[in-house]
Amino acid sequence: MSEHHHIIPLKIYFTVAGILFFLTGVTVWVSYVDLGFLNIVIALLIAGTKATIVALFFMHLLWDDKKNLTAFVLSLMFLAIFMIITMSDTEFRGAINPEIKDPINKRAAFYDSLPLTDDHGNPIHEDDSHESGDKDDHH
Amino acid sequence: MSHDKSSPDFLYHHFYDVNQQYETSKLGMWGFILTEVLTFGALFVAYTVYRAWNPDMFINANLLLDVNKGLINTIVLIGSSLTMALAIWAIQLKKKKLSLVMLFITFICAAIFLGIKYLEYEHKFHLGQLPGEYYSYMGPEIANMNNPHIFFSIYFIMTGLHGLHVAIGMGLIAWLMYLTARDKLHSAYYTPMELVGIFWHLVDIIWIFLFPLFYLIG
Repeated sequence: MSEHHHIIPLKIYFTVAGILFFLTGVTVWVSYVDLGFLNIVIALLIAGTKATIVALFFMHLLWDDKKNLTAFVLSLMFLAIFMIITMSDTEFRGAINPEIKDPINKRAAFYDSLPLTDDHGNPIHEDDSHESGDKDDHH
Repeated sequence: MSHDKSSPDFLYHHFYDVNQQYETSKLGMWGFILTEVLTFGALFVAYTVYRAWNPDMFINANLLLDVNKGLINTIVLIGSSLTMALAIWAIQLKKKKLSLVMLFITFICAAIFLGIKYLEYEHKFHLGQLPGEYYSYMGPEIANMNNPHIFFSIYFIMTGLHGLHVAIGMGLIAWLMYLTARDKLHSAYYTPMELVGIFWHLVDIIWIFLFPLFYLIG
């Protein structure tokens, strides 16, 4: 049965992996360049290209019976429908009733009760910041 | 339906021939991949909705993640995808030992991925950069940040579910090594390896999107 299966040349696998590593480097590099809203567009275009390459070559969709590709593309179409309908709701709520969008821009109430911390996550006590030093004091 | 004496022992009685069996298994796997895309798709929709509602917070909160750890994990996972594909290539060409070595490297890469993920999680647990009500980090960067607990809710759920897939993948790869070593898989019958390979590449694809969306935005 193996003679019915397409054995993909080794060169293709290594070329594909090389392109994937290269695109990973490009996407990290581009993220440090400030392009405004284009940053996310470029990041998603590169991710989409990488995903397509993985699906076509590593997952063998390019050589498979096209029913498998159909199943995969169908899942992406359903995801697009899900995304478009949800976003067309949540993004335009404020246009109908501005009050609905307002609370989202407020800070959650529990932040007021949280103590300030340093960048290691330890609470800062403003009143007794010398406390830890007192025990070692020699009078 | 019964088969004549010459049919191979891995051919189940309800299939007409080995090729039909192989194609059926593969379509079944793609049906499963479809449900996986929709499962993660729901989380990607959640990400999009909350990012659209909190654009500035998402861009500031991503600075609290370690790009280097994310980049190393990306490289490890793409490398493991390559070795997974090579394991299938090797078994197609009756190179049993090479196939076992490639599966083992894939397994080790998955373990490295989870190890780095553990270091990241451990650090965030220590800082209190946690989902929802468990969030407690109020460091200097937080002053002009609104509701970073939302970012960490989505971060932990998406990377957590992805990490669970990596862990399950490790179990499946270990099972493949067992089957290959026992000669249950060979050049005429390697369907389980092909199917686990598809699963493993899907895990890779999901990380390809998670990496820029969480670590590189801004």
